[in-house]
Amino acid sequence: MTNSFGDIQNAKSIFIIGCNPAVNHPVGFGHILKAKERNNAKIIVIDPRFTKSAAKADYFAQIRPGTDIPFVYGMLHIIFKNGWEDKKYIEDRVYGMDEIRAEAAKWTPQVVADVTGVSAETLIEITTIYAKNSPGTLLWAMGLTQHTVGTGNTRIAPILQMALGYMGKAGGGTNILRGHDNVQGATDMGCLSDTLPGYYGLVEGSWKYYARMWGVEYDYIKSHFKDASWMGKPGFTLARWWAGVLAGKPGEDAIENAGTNLKALVVMGCGITSTSQNLKIQQGLDNLELLVIADPFVNEAAILTNRKDNLFILPSATQFESSGTVSATNRSAQWRYKVVEPLYESKADQDIMFELAKRLGFYEEYTRSMMMHLKSDGYLEMTPGKKTFQWPEDATIEISRTLRTIGMMGWTPERIKKHTDNWHMFDEITGAGKGEMKGEYYGLPWPCWSVKHGGTPNLYNVDVPISEGGMGFRNNFGLEKDGVSLLAGQGSAPVNSKVDGGYPEITKENIEKLIGRTLSASEKDLCGANWKTCTSGKLVDLALEAGLTPYGNAKARAVVWTFPDRIPLHREPLYSSRPDLVEKYPTYADKANHFRVTTKYASIQKEKDYTKEFPIIMTTGRLVTMMGAGLENRASKYICALTPEMFCDIHPDLASQHGIKNGQMMWVHSPAGTKIKVKAKYSHTVLPHMVFLPFHFGGYMQGVDMTGNFPAGTKPYASGECANTVVSYGYDIMTQIPASKAGLCRVEKA
Amino acid sequence: MENARMKFYCDESRCIECDGCTIACAEAHELPVGIARRKVITIHEGIPGKEVSTSVACMHCTDAPCEQVCPVDCFYIREDGVVLHDKNKCIGCGYCLYACPFGAPQFPREGIFGSKGAMDKCTMCAGGPLTTNSHHEFELYGQNRIAEGKVPVCAAMCSTKALLVGDAESVSNVIRARVTARGGKGVNSSYGWDKAYKNQ
Repeated sequence: MTNSFGDIQNAKSIFIIGCNPAVNHPVGFGHILKAKERNNAKIIVIDPRFTKSAAKADYFAQIRPGTDIPFVYGMLHIIFKNGWEDKKYIEDRVYGMDEIRAEAAKWTPQVVADVTGVSAETLIEITTIYAKNSPGTLLWAMGLTQHTVGTGNTRIAPILQMALGYMGKAGGGTNILRGHDNVQGATDMGCLSDTLPGYYGLVEGSWKYYARMWGVEYDYIKSHFKDASWMGKPGFTLARWWAGVLAGKPGEDAIENAGTNLKALVVMGCGITSTSQNLKIQQGLDNLELLVIADPFVNEAAILTNRKDNLFILPSATQFESSGTVSATNRSAQWRYKVVEPLYESKADQDIMFELAKRLGFYEEYTRSMMMHLKSDGYLEMTPGKKTFQWPEDATIEISRTLRTIGMMGWTPERIKKHTDNWHMFDEITGAGKGEMKGEYYGLPWPCWSVKHGGTPNLYNVDVPISEGGMGFRNNFGLEKDGVSLLAGQGSAPVNSKVDGGYPEITKENIEKLIGRTLSASEKDLCGANWKTCTSGKLVDLALEAGLTPYGNAKARAVVWTFPDRIPLHREPLYSSRPDLVEKYPTYADKANHFRVTTKYASIQKEKDYTKEFPIIMTTGRLVTMMGAGLENRASKYICALTPEMFCDIHPDLASQHGIKNGQMMWVHSPAGTKIKVKAKYSHTVLPHMVFLPFHFGGYMQGVDMTGNFPAGTKPYASGECANTVVSYGYDIMTQIPASKAGLCRVEKA
Repeated sequence: MENARMKFYCDESRCIECDGCTIACAEAHELPVGIARRKVITIHEGIPGKEVSTSVACMHCTDAPCEQVCPVDCFYIREDGVVLHDKNKCIGCGYCLYACPFGAPQFPREGIFGSKGAMDKCTMCAGGPLTTNSHHEFELYGQNRIAEGKVPVCAAMCSTKALLVGDAESVSNVIRARVTARGGKGVNSSYGWDKAYKNQ
């Protein structure tokens, strides 16, 4: 999220595509409604369904799932044709917009109408409103990401913002709505299989940096890997861990996992039974040698599996029984205080992990740095007399001194607690502090460059100095490409900058030239090789003094020359609802070793015309009463009274074709051969050729009630089929997120 | 000085049917499942330009019809306008349900024949005739937040601050400011002349 929920109140137009904040972010949606009241902001919703957000919109386009890229190219077509783009912004701050312009030229309103199902008039009207009501902010969530072209979707959206000059402005930006409390924090901490915490890459330099900051030898870390080459390879993902278990069985995808299958799985606080291809998840669980589940409520993974042994359920504590930082969707932190001690025999997550680390024999090594402190030269030493660590404060300190790439240096426990304790001292819209909190933004949104810096409320904003949260785009991809400079143009640096243009990221090598003075020998001694590993903080301090962004001031790139699609391209979903378009907009070739798993694309798409047997479009999403796999929510009797059972939103016209009455049970069949039995709910929110399924239910598998597997007294008030049992194969080409939004199905009366 | 008259108002241009009010009410008062003191109603769901959601409970009418039809006179109206009733007097006849324009009165449905029992409804978090904040009061009527100087829980929990509660003048001031900011018209404005009379 480049800006924040509060900042949405500064927008003049709000473009909501692939998210439904009225349902998924009800409190945040208040800011959108207020923007309408304060600014007469125009609300535009693009969605396959007439959602609760659409009900509050001024403009609505009902798009065919999986055609977001054509829709946005259609907008860009109109913008470029009318000269509505921000030419200076593009010239100074964007690389490769010409390639976008060339692609957009192909997407006339008529072509877009054919592909997306949205009329040319609606596209033109929406584009005009969005371009003419500046600044506009753009919101998305899983509706853009959960596609085989999810990465392309998440690139085309900021490209639209860039073309209109809406990026890096109050009231503009791309506001990507995180679905859960602290998802942003989990990502920042590196709960991903292809990065270290703070997005440090899986390269030797990063590992060595972490060895230093954890106070362990690099060789010690290396000794836990099969060999050093595996330290650089992404692991499995949440989406396809089960492929690592099932590989070798007939019909299963091949894996590259050092010649062995996955044997054990530990699940901590994750609804793994609601991702996609649920039957495969069940088979994966059944074929493990060991399954350990830690959750405050019984995770339905324990219910779904047919295994009779080596399944352990650990009671973990809730957020009220633990403390520490929690990151909001806008990159800001709050301190969460413990309300009660963990109840009964439950333990906080970190205590479960500490016990596991002790048994595995590396507890001492990996907790040692919490008893160390940074010397002024940026190296760690044991703190004299310190025998134990204080949880979670010492962990927060470790994070703040280590995760420099995203600027967490200012996140000390004291500062975060002070913000939380004084939250009433900050402005609702800008986040700016008042009185004693003046000069700081609520929760110190990262990058918060130092313990004196007040945080960055809106990313990439060059209208304010670095000290007040200004910055350019990150210099992350070299200095030039094909003879074109990748650094920002003259005059596009944050105000009060020593260098009024582009410059590379700060290094020991270039610092003197950039700040225009010679450093003394003692100052030089304090400088690390570059700002990311200069743990004394000297390079960052010098940069801030000169008004320079430590990571440089570069152009944003519309072209990614290392991706399969240099620019975002439309590609039909694997199970396309428009087989006539597959030849023109084919998916990717199959991809080997995609997070260790061979992943099919073209071989599925080309296999046959699926619409003959599965003519109905199927999409999934959330309900306002629940989140994720719904484990916690279905433990509330009042919530279950509102949403007591699994259902399928179906248009009465479609239902009547199949003889399905409102409230009757129906089957939904997927092209993968799976099926679920759910209650039909007549709804006009979906078009007559599509159905919608919420994904929060569990406990049933293809008509079979598995809830007898719940230990006595733990069964939720509501159970039902999981939508993801009928979500078919399909994963994003870069991130491997499941493609759950643009599926096909067949329905019949049960 | 006139006494404040407490009123609910749901700004339907802000209500998004999140059901936060319903759940907050049920949790706060520990209601039996099936008793909905407050409900969110959506009409014309899925129809562009027509879908509207609003939160409904006892509206604490000035001239409350429930009070007028009650054969045992169990209702009483506080000086601030909050309409309450005495569950120990109520005979569960259901007359109030027929009289109420909003469907507010609720009846417990335990037992195989759905026995009615004493009526239950929104108290605007003001408890009942028993000793204020006593255990007995909580058991029969739920929390008495008004006595503690707190906002009724439904409005406190409302995610978009669509649901307002307070003395009538303060509520209308908030709504007037919002309607003025929105330009005083359009699908999402409050019920004014143009909506009620279609600009006739």
